[in-house]
Amino acid sequence: MTENLETIISVIAETEKAFFYRLSNAATRDDLEEIRIEYLSRKGKVQSLFSLIGKVDGVDRPKIGAELNRVKKAVQDAIDEKQKSFQRTGKAIEFFDPTLPGRTVSIGSLHPLMQVMDEVKQIFVGMGFRIEEGDEIETDYHNFEALNIPKHHPSRDMQDTFYLSDEYVLRTHTSPVQIHTMEDQKPPIRMIAPGRCFRKDTPDATHSPTFHQVEGLCVDRGVSFADLKGVVLAFAQKLFGKDVKVRFRPSFFPFTEPSAEYDFSCIFCKGQGCRVCKDTGWLEISGAGMVDPAVFGFVDYDPDVYSGYAFGMGIERIAMLKYQVNDIRIFYENDLRFLKQF
Amino acid sequence: MKVTLNWLKEFVDFSLSATQVADALTMAGLEVEEVYTLERNFSRVVVGKIVKSQKHPDADHLSLCRVDIGGNILPIVCGAPNAYEGLKAPLALDGSVLLNDLKVETQKIRGFESQGMLCSEAELGLSERSEQLMELTADAEVGKELGQYLGEPDIVFDINVTPNRPDCLSVIGIAREIAAMTGSSLKKPELNITAIPDAIEKYMTVDIKDEERCFRYSGRYLRDITIKPAPFWMALRLHAVGIRSINNVVDVTNYVMMEVGQPLHAFDYRLLEGKKVIVRAAEAGERFTTLDGQEHELDQDSLLICDGVKPVALAGVMGGLNSEVQPDTNTVFLESAYFEPTNIRRTAKKLDLSTESSRRFERGIDPNGTIYAMNRAASLMVDLAGGHVVGDAIDNYPQKVTPVEIDLSVHQSNVWLGVSLKKEQIAEILSSIELSVEQKNGDTLRAIVPTFRPDLTRPIDLVEEIARLYGYDNIEPNVAPRIDQLQEANPRVLFRDFVRQTVSGMGFRETCNLSLIHKKFGHEFLPQKTGFVELLNPLSEDLGVFRPNMIVSLLTSVAYNRNRQMHDMRLFEIGNVAWKEDGRSVKTEKTQIAGILAGHRQENAWYGKAKEFDFYDIKGVVEGLLAKTGIEKFEQESAHDVFWDAESSKVIVDGKSCGAFGKITDDVLTLFKIKTNDLFAFYFDFDKLFENCRKEKIYNPVPRFPSVPFDLAILIDVNVSAGSLEKEIWKSGGENLVDVHLFDYYKGEQVEAGKKSVAFSLTFSSKERTLSDDEIENVIDQILAHLSGQFGAQLRDR
Ligand SMILES: [Zn+2]
Repeated sequence: MTENLETIISVIAETEKAFFYRLSNAATRDDLEEIRIEYLSRKGKVQSLFSLIGKVDGVDRPKIGAELNRVKKAVQDAIDEKQKSFQRTGKAIEFFDPTLPGRTVSIGSLHPLMQVMDEVKQIFVGMGFRIEEGDEIETDYHNFEALNIPKHHPSRDMQDTFYLSDEYVLRTHTSPVQIHTMEDQKPPIRMIAPGRCFRKDTPDATHSPTFHQVEGLCVDRGVSFADLKGVVLAFAQKLFGKDVKVRFRPSFFPFTEPSAEYDFSCIFCKGQGCRVCKDTGWLEISGAGMVDPAVFGFVDYDPDVYSGYAFGMGIERIAMLKYQVNDIRIFYENDLRFLKQF
Repeated sequence: MKVTLNWLKEFVDFSLSATQVADALTMAGLEVEEVYTLERNFSRVVVGKIVKSQKHPDADHLSLCRVDIGGNILPIVCGAPNAYEGLKAPLALDGSVLLNDLKVETQKIRGFESQGMLCSEAELGLSERSEQLMELTADAEVGKELGQYLGEPDIVFDINVTPNRPDCLSVIGIAREIAAMTGSSLKKPELNITAIPDAIEKYMTVDIKDEERCFRYSGRYLRDITIKPAPFWMALRLHAVGIRSINNVVDVTNYVMMEVGQPLHAFDYRLLEGKKVIVRAAEAGERFTTLDGQEHELDQDSLLICDGVKPVALAGVMGGLNSEVQPDTNTVFLESAYFEPTNIRRTAKKLDLSTESSRRFERGIDPNGTIYAMNRAASLMVDLAGGHVVGDAIDNYPQKVTPVEIDLSVHQSNVWLGVSLKKEQIAEILSSIELSVEQKNGDTLRAIVPTFRPDLTRPIDLVEEIARLYGYDNIEPNVAPRIDQLQEANPRVLFRDFVRQTVSGMGFRETCNLSLIHKKFGHEFLPQKTGFVELLNPLSEDLGVFRPNMIVSLLTSVAYNRNRQMHDMRLFEIGNVAWKEDGRSVKTEKTQIAGILAGHRQENAWYGKAKEFDFYDIKGVVEGLLAKTGIEKFEQESAHDVFWDAESSKVIVDGKSCGAFGKITDDVLTLFKIKTNDLFAFYFDFDKLFENCRKEKIYNPVPRFPSVPFDLAILIDVNVSAGSLEKEIWKSGGENLVDVHLFDYYKGEQVEAGKKSVAFSLTFSSKERTLSDDEIENVIDQILAHLSGQFGAQLRDR
């Protein structure tokens, strides 16, 4: 007896439809396993459909065979797919709300001034400078005299100093670290001294009695002013980008000669002139110069053999430019709403 | 230092604009901080001529004037003493606006109509002189706008002169720089003094008793002086450079000081007794009143100018009240001297009396310039005060200062600068600033430095001049790396940054606090038997001492944020602290790291209720930080000080205390006005951590045989600490015990009163073999026996 071809096709179709209905209701892995056995096991519903092949005419058999193979593959694929989705989502019963806030992990941060300090340190370490440290309470000798700033000299007026006694001061710059380093080591010296300094400045938008500096020193045979300009230029371009230009202007510091103030071309207007640079196109950064031979005298270096350069910079100044902070006092308030931004 | 464009142009010809001058000066090391046109505060003011002036019938001090303004004659009531007929003076017309928005209108003054106002220089904003009408020159065109009569307003340069350039505290000094930059030359007028022949000794002799501090004392005697206001042009220039006009004689001394840089002083000759000037050191305790009316108590450091009887001036700083020029002065003794710089500075500092004069002397004026300046002033006094110079100049010059000669190696100069200038170029540069240059053999130049440049004494000083005038811009940067100079990293710095990264990684925010604090916040934090490092000259008491502990800083930050409704925070900072050991002046400065936990570990959340920080949170941080730095074990000891007695602990590594942690006491919190007592902090001596930290990392083989866990719960007296239990377990656990982890701690109904249950998870592992059950059992028995012996511990659960 041969069944009608259409009848068999419709039986297959219904089996397939019923399968997908069952599958759509499968909520757990167990449900899925049950369905798999029901349809794909050796005595399962799909397998038993294959017995229908014998009931059609020989000419139609390949057609039915192909259709059965398609259904079998569709069932297998659908089960596999569902299986995978269970692996991804776990239980699929309840509504899972992925938009609930995650469990809080406390986030720490580094202070913006220290981040700038770190960046500056990294740049100089990359150029072969060693970082040296020193005390914040210094002797008058190391803070002033050995830097060629004698006691009764007008150049002392350039910095307002906090005194602890006749002998001790709060260092007004990190330059005394350079003196200590030269006292302890022989050239070549290539160092920076980052650290905290103090000046008797009444706090306002641009002054703080505590501030941070990085000062650099290089002493060796044949070190020149051109080397100094090179190192400052390299630093400027690493910090603010390849387009930055550097300008040196003559100035005076007791411990350097020739002395210079150095400026960076304005990073906001690219030197065209804007509010920040007061239309000059330049941002004043800090001072630099060739180490005055008198300083070498204090540390027993022979000025006929060695020469050196020194430079400084204010971290607050750079941080204010970088983060566009317009009041230095904000750095020292430690307002969480400020700290969280860095 | 302020100079004006017109004043400079008297001494050097140049065609640069004001902005170009400013730029050029700045690039030559004379930083121009400001350039501005002199302000004129008036409108609708014309040249008027008083054609009639009579006294007001009822008011003596008022004049009723008729003022010609060219075709029109206006009635004006005027209160100035010099409203005499024939005077040409500025007249502000009805509707004009003067300085400070003063509006001039037609009005009745004491019964008479006044259709405007005759003006003083002050009312026009031209100088500070307000007592008299501004006197215009006879050739002033009546009716002309005053602005046109005055011509273009002058331009002022405010220059920041560095301490090494005393020569630039003068118009001539700056003109000399412009001459060097523009290639022109300085025009310094020759002075010819016509003196009435007489022997000066009849009038004055000078005796320098202290030649160490007074190198030179020059003087001139003038008579027939009439004191009156200085002419307008002089008052205007002094006003432009910030000096108040006093009278013709005093103004001349100031004017010449600004022009050539030599401070001068004019004495009223009548008030000098004994026809003598003596320069001597003050006696200790000697009192002297300067012309500002201040009395000073002096010591031997100060130098006095005296007459035959009494001191009359504080040398180089300020004249005396007892000898200053009076309205009726008719004879003047003019002083032009050179005083030793350090001494003047010391006196000015000590007396807190910094003057235009002391600023110049303390930086070093030209000792060979006293005569020129004095003659310039004398000739101006002759012109402006109708005086006559009598006899020769006095010039007492015991310490002759001669020009310095410096030999410079061209090669050395080029090495220092990184350039290759030729000998001739260098010679030309140095000549442009009036150094005489001799070309010596080969590589060497000899420069003879004029005495107005005391800053040039060594070859390097010349190199600076060469660089400055050659142009810093023209020196090419050398960016070639110097591998031979590379240095090793500094391990302490690396460790510091590692610690900062570690603590911020534990959720702490780094702060940056001022190092100076108010004493009251620090007392509790001073180590025993120490005192504060105090500032002698603090800005205020609030910033009076150096912080003795970093926790002070963190508490400051917590308080700041709590005042702004921020409650929960974790903060840390590394910084320096200091104190003084009792009875010793030597300070102790240390680097500390501190951290603080304030408020809640966790806010109210959907997954749990808010939880306050407690002692074990801060301890966890300490343990974590130490573990990260390679310090696996530390001892504890009660710490107290700023912490609660109970909830506190010292951290002892290798028998040495490294720091402490615990709960901040209420006393301390009250001090900082922090209202909740939920603050926990730690601090470490940074260098002790650094000493003890792991310096090198060497691989320790991971065990190849399986480890065996063993849980052990014991009953013990409540007052036996978990730490001591753990220590004893380690002691008795044998070589295969590799981990002890306390996982349960219970006091309450389930155990008998006075006891607690503590449960540990022990891990055993051997490098050589798999451990057998029997072996483990044996060790456990051993541990139990030991704990029982030590503490009477009983096994609760095995
Ligand atoms: Zn700009």
